[in-house]
Amino acid sequence: MKNKMKNYLMLIFISFITTTFAQVKGVVVDENNEPIPGVNIIISNTNKGTTTDFDGKFNIANVQVNDVLEFSFLGYKTQKVKIDIIPKVIKIKMIPASEKMDQIVLVGYSSKKRSELSSAVVNLKSKELLDIPSNDVGSLLQGKVAGVQVIQSTGEPGAASQVRIRGISSISSEDAEPLYVVDGIIGGSFDPNDIASVTVLKDAGTTAMYGSRANNGVIIIQTKSGKVGKTIFEFKSDTGLKFADHGNVTMMNGTEFYNWSAELYRDPNNHQIDKIRFFNDYPRELSNKNFDWVGNAFKPAYFQKYYLSAKGGNNKLSYYISGSYNNDKGTFMNTNYQAISFRTNTVYKFNDRIQMKNNVSINTSNGNSYDYMDMLYSYLGVPWDNPFDANGNPKYIDGNTSNWISRDHINPFHNVENSTHNYNGFGASYDMSINFKINNWLTFRTTNRLSMYTDKGHNFVSALAAGTYHDKGYLNDEKNLGYEGITTNIFDLKKSFGDHNLTGLIGYEYSKNYWETSFIEGTGLPVGLEVPSAISTVSKVGGSDGTGAMESMLSQINYNYKNKYFLTASYRIDAASNFPKNNRVAHFPGISVSWLVNKETFLDKKWLDLLRLRVSFGITGDPNIGEHQYLGLFNIDSHYNGNSAAIPYQLENLNLTWEKKQQLNFGIDLGISKIVDFSFDIYQNTTKDLILRIPQPLSQGFEYRYENRGEILNNGIEISLSTKNINKKNIKWTTSFNLSKNTNTLSNIGDSFQMTINGISQIYEDGAELYTFYLPKWLGVNSDTGAPQWEKVTYDNQGKVIARTATSDYSEATYQKVGHALADFTGGFTSNLQIYNFTFYANLSYQYGNDIYNFTRTFMDNDGHEPYYNNMLPAPGSSRWEKPGDNATHPSMQNNALSKEPSSRYLEKGNFLKIRTLSLKYDFNKNVAAKLHLKALSLGITANNLFTFTNYWGQDPETNINRNDWAMPGVSDFKYPNNKQFLLNLNVKF
Amino acid sequence: MKQYILLLLLIGLTISCAKLDYPPSDSLTTEELLNTPNGLEIITNGNYSLFKDGIEFNGVLDDNNSYLRQYFQMSDFAADDIVCGQVTEDPLYYSFTYTHSPSQANARYFWYASYKIISGANTVINYLENKSNLNDNEKQFLGENYFLRGFVTFSLVKFYAYQYNIGDPNANLGVVLRLSTSEPKEKSRSSVAETYSQVIEDLTTAANLMNTSRGKEYASKEAAWALLSRVYLYMNNYNKVIEYADRVINSGIFNLETSANFPNYYTNTLGSNETIWAIAFTPADNKGKFGSIASMIYSDGNSGWGEEFATYDYMDLLSNNDVRKSLIEPKLDASGDVELKNGLEIYYIKKFSYQDGDPNLSSPVMLRLAEVYLNRAEAKAQLNDEAGALSDINHIRENRGLANELITAVPAGETIVDVVLRERRLELAFEGHRLFDLLRNHQNIVRHYWGYHIPGLNIGDIDLDNPPTSGYDNLDINYDSPRVLYYIPIDEILTNSLCEQNQ
Repeated sequence: MKNKMKNYLMLIFISFITTTFAQVKGVVVDENNEPIPGVNIIISNTNKGTTTDFDGKFNIANVQVNDVLEFSFLGYKTQKVKIDIIPKVIKIKMIPASEKMDQIVLVGYSSKKRSELSSAVVNLKSKELLDIPSNDVGSLLQGKVAGVQVIQSTGEPGAASQVRIRGISSISSEDAEPLYVVDGIIGGSFDPNDIASVTVLKDAGTTAMYGSRANNGVIIIQTKSGKVGKTIFEFKSDTGLKFADHGNVTMMNGTEFYNWSAELYRDPNNHQIDKIRFFNDYPRELSNKNFDWVGNAFKPAYFQKYYLSAKGGNNKLSYYISGSYNNDKGTFMNTNYQAISFRTNTVYKFNDRIQMKNNVSINTSNGNSYDYMDMLYSYLGVPWDNPFDANGNPKYIDGNTSNWISRDHINPFHNVENSTHNYNGFGASYDMSINFKINNWLTFRTTNRLSMYTDKGHNFVSALAAGTYHDKGYLNDEKNLGYEGITTNIFDLKKSFGDHNLTGLIGYEYSKNYWETSFIEGTGLPVGLEVPSAISTVSKVGGSDGTGAMESMLSQINYNYKNKYFLTASYRIDAASNFPKNNRVAHFPGISVSWLVNKETFLDKKWLDLLRLRVSFGITGDPNIGEHQYLGLFNIDSHYNGNSAAIPYQLENLNLTWEKKQQLNFGIDLGISKIVDFSFDIYQNTTKDLILRIPQPLSQGFEYRYENRGEILNNGIEISLSTKNINKKNIKWTTSFNLSKNTNTLSNIGDSFQMTINGISQIYEDGAELYTFYLPKWLGVNSDTGAPQWEKVTYDNQGKVIARTATSDYSEATYQKVGHALADFTGGFTSNLQIYNFTFYANLSYQYGNDIYNFTRTFMDNDGHEPYYNNMLPAPGSSRWEKPGDNATHPSMQNNALSKEPSSRYLEKGNFLKIRTLSLKYDFNKNVAAKLHLKALSLGITANNLFTFTNYWGQDPETNINRNDWAMPGVSDFKYPNNKQFLLNLNVKF
Repeated sequence: MKQYILLLLLIGLTISCAKLDYPPSDSLTTEELLNTPNGLEIITNGNYSLFKDGIEFNGVLDDNNSYLRQYFQMSDFAADDIVCGQVTEDPLYYSFTYTHSPSQANARYFWYASYKIISGANTVINYLENKSNLNDNEKQFLGENYFLRGFVTFSLVKFYAYQYNIGDPNANLGVVLRLSTSEPKEKSRSSVAETYSQVIEDLTTAANLMNTSRGKEYASKEAAWALLSRVYLYMNNYNKVIEYADRVINSGIFNLETSANFPNYYTNTLGSNETIWAIAFTPADNKGKFGSIASMIYSDGNSGWGEEFATYDYMDLLSNNDVRKSLIEPKLDASGDVELKNGLEIYYIKKFSYQDGDPNLSSPVMLRLAEVYLNRAEAKAQLNDEAGALSDINHIRENRGLANELITAVPAGETIVDVVLRERRLELAFEGHRLFDLLRNHQNIVRHYWGYHIPGLNIGDIDLDNPPTSGYDNLDINYDSPRVLYYIPIDEILTNSLCEQNQ
């Protein structure tokens, strides 16, 4: 005790001495007078400085009178204090950087203050993002960012949404999804709960830095990081129930379907139903049989998502650790998804110059998917058939079963019970970056990631199942594995000369990925076994691998004068293995300028927070092209008589080169009286040298050759407006609204060409929009005959239209442009109302101007072609032709030739307004939470997809806009229905 | 400080100039492949495999698409041996209804796959024709590829052009002849006569080159002769028919299946001495419910769609002792009655089933001895050699359970040609012959029976006791109607301005 006292006195003495000579000490606190650890303090214009300790205290030596100390901390305004007297003890109260303009925004390889931005960039914090529990950042962005269209085209558990930024800029590209950049490195995975902020880069002023990968826009994800201070734990739970949303599809009951069937027996001469024959073929008691196929195949399903994290740190080390668990049952029989993910982010400061970040992320998932045919039959089963026996077990039904009416003699309930369609996956990535501050104006950083994934798909049909694999069984197992490495090495420069402020970077990047895939398919498996070694007849074994590599040089200069005029210029060079040697290197420049008009003296009005004009121009490229499209190849993956066989596969084109997109953007940002925030952007993006599959005469033995030809022009405007309608202490109400319009035109394609799937065609033609439907035009029903009618257009020698007539002969009908799959307008609306501890939140999204080909109606709104499929209740105002003079929407079943052939009959408007989220949250007062030993506690309830306003007469109008081997954009086939969800949310900090 | 920067720049430079060449793992360039040991064999195998395997077309890998499925459906579904029992999205429906269009998926795929085979064959032909001193092995591959080009071109001209003896073969358009991989993109159609003479040239060259027997899975000298007898039959060149038929028959390699064995012939075509050439399907090639040829015309209750049936018109020709009757299987319900599907009686066809016991598996016969006899019989009949024709016919009947029903004289009101054609129909039904046998003999397609070839028909209309009379469409199609031709695919017309469309 004595010794200790001595030491203590000594310490006081020493500190007194030093203080006397050149010391400033004190404490830094936040707005609530809580000490802030880790605040940076430097003496202006030197590199001398320190940071506050765990209790917010600091002690800085060698300070001279008139020196200025700068106190800075992320999320707070930097404060400068002039030292008038030495020694001195001061208390600094940091003020939160509520001023939006001072917030730091990540824009790729660098970060900027909001006020310095000269590009179309939108930044969202996790609070604005996480209004629904989701595994997919796309669905979290829906309706929130102008220019970002999000389509949730399936409700399958674990399925991702489709995200499009400013339209679609490629035809052949395998993928129009934006580039994701996680924690500063291209690619990467994350759990949405780990997101600290999301930045959407929309124009080439910023995206050109990502060069050949950036055509579809860039989404930058910053995951959470630790803060110096005591450990804060957070726990979140979202649990609830979901229900299949069948949209406007209601299948007929037994009586309705009986009445529909009677139409098959309408006598073509006297126009009466031939009841004698009908009752003979369809006994009357059928109409009382009422099995609810849809209700039995789709059931309410349980949903749970839990998240736990800890963050904290000291002067040397800060950390963020999280884990989440997701258990998602599907509404369709035997479908589900489970995922677990872990993340650890740490920052270690070796000293003032060198710091190292280590981010580790691991995730694993598995789930049960479904077979398309099982879903189709679940909708189309006839209500007079009961697929279950007296004990409630699904019946075995096959082609030899009598007393079964539904077409194809298949019982989907039995199939589901005797098949497996599951998948699982595992992914891991490790990021390591080191920042080395060489001197005041020069920093070197190296950022590196190594990642891997492995996944497996498993499709199994038991020998017990009816159908083609009965008594045999079937198995298809597919395994994929991949590694990727990327390294980025950058020098950052920062220098000011009076009013001229300059920053810049120069760097090198190299990435390489390797993938491999293998599968086995076969039949003849004993019941109870579903592994490859149980297969007795292998029908196919396959496997392939590949490597892709890209190396890049990057550079960027940012200059501003008096923080009023801003210029950013960047230049990236990419060389990729995708192209022939001579065409490998591509150059991607970008430039943007902005002018903060409100900083000019002539506009120095107090109510004007911000008036900024921005212009940007740049070039980006498309990454999603195949690996070897320029080679003339034989493909060797088939067999004849058990021996290897090669098939002519691809024509050579050694001139193939990059698709390039020129992007021009003009924008205005306006802020008034801290109440109104408004942004307007107008852009014109031209993708040139599209890599097209140029059709070849089939008589050459090839369908197409990859060539650079044609352009896509995307023009658009974007408006976003957010307002603080009420801003009182206990009542706060903000709303935001956004709208985007995009038009999409093809040019210089040359000869037009078509894509056709299931007989439905889309045409690619100069002047046409992308994904334009090209079909006979439906002209309704001939009121004299009851026959379907299409338009027949007659042209003269010059190709001018001279007549438009109706024909009931489908082969005479003229193919023409009848609609397009991409929306003209998309957007959303958000309202956030806080009254005392209650927060009411609403989010709506909408889409307007697209057409959907309702393919499902060719099955379930049919004219008697399919007497043994159940039908849906037809749209209001529908009628079927019965006798001459009837003005009907549906042809006579006696005169229905080819009425279901592809035509604009099935094309419907896809407009919708969807109430995406409604939620109510209660935040407990701090003192209440404290009684429970908690830092914060909130409880909430949320409803998702509560209602969709639409005239579309099918399943939910959110329809696939991907183009791939089996799906055409804008065609709605039977799909996994979306979900209406009702959730309970709990959020605890301790 | 400077040394740090230098060091870092040095690191940057050493990782630069990275390797950026990564060839594909499952493909080879044409040159690489031709210079690989067995390269010729692998390409030739690819040409055979294209008969059985579907490949991606129009962005889709559709199970419904394979050369052989279209080959049989586009011919037999358009004739009068098979009735359509179900309206379907599958384009096979358009073959029944004759609602042909340039964008018809089956006719487009068949054209594409045909020329894909020709492209592969030309790769081998171009390479070996420029090489001197071919060894026997190389000669055999060269011959097989000439054969394949000849077979495929002949099939094309049957589907997309008027038959040789309808109208003027020198004026009627045939198909685009592709003779080399380095031809210009655009090329016009040759006349029907030019197409036939190229086919004959390819097949005679092939016959001279092939001297090795690699098995019935592959082309052979005899296969080329057998096909030549068919080609000359289509051209009404009866002496040549007899010449080449004789060569096959006299080769002594082939025998007709006996009455006892014929019912099982289609379960093991590759093991039969009747087969001259068949496309080999191994169990691994089973295309199942969605892609097999059998699936549309047969089902064991689970194996296929079973939506198309044998017609009464065909079955009425079968006498009770005819063992060919066993290849038709009525589907019976519990009380022993023939079951109905969509109002029609179900009579399944078993010519593409039960290899290795699998209802969807068979190795379809492309050429067999019975056809060669029938070719010769028809030629003899046309040359008024009645006795010779009847002898060939009776040789078949003896082996089909009809030893006691031999034909000794032409029935009253008929000609010897009628007798031969009836036997040809009985014997070769469902094997891709009937449509062309009708057309080239200037006989109309007559389908006065209930079925979904009648547009707009529904089950309420069907009265099995009273066949449809006038008032329904598609009951009669004239042999010289342009409707019979398939259109040149839209893809060819749009990209090859020299290629004329059928009217």
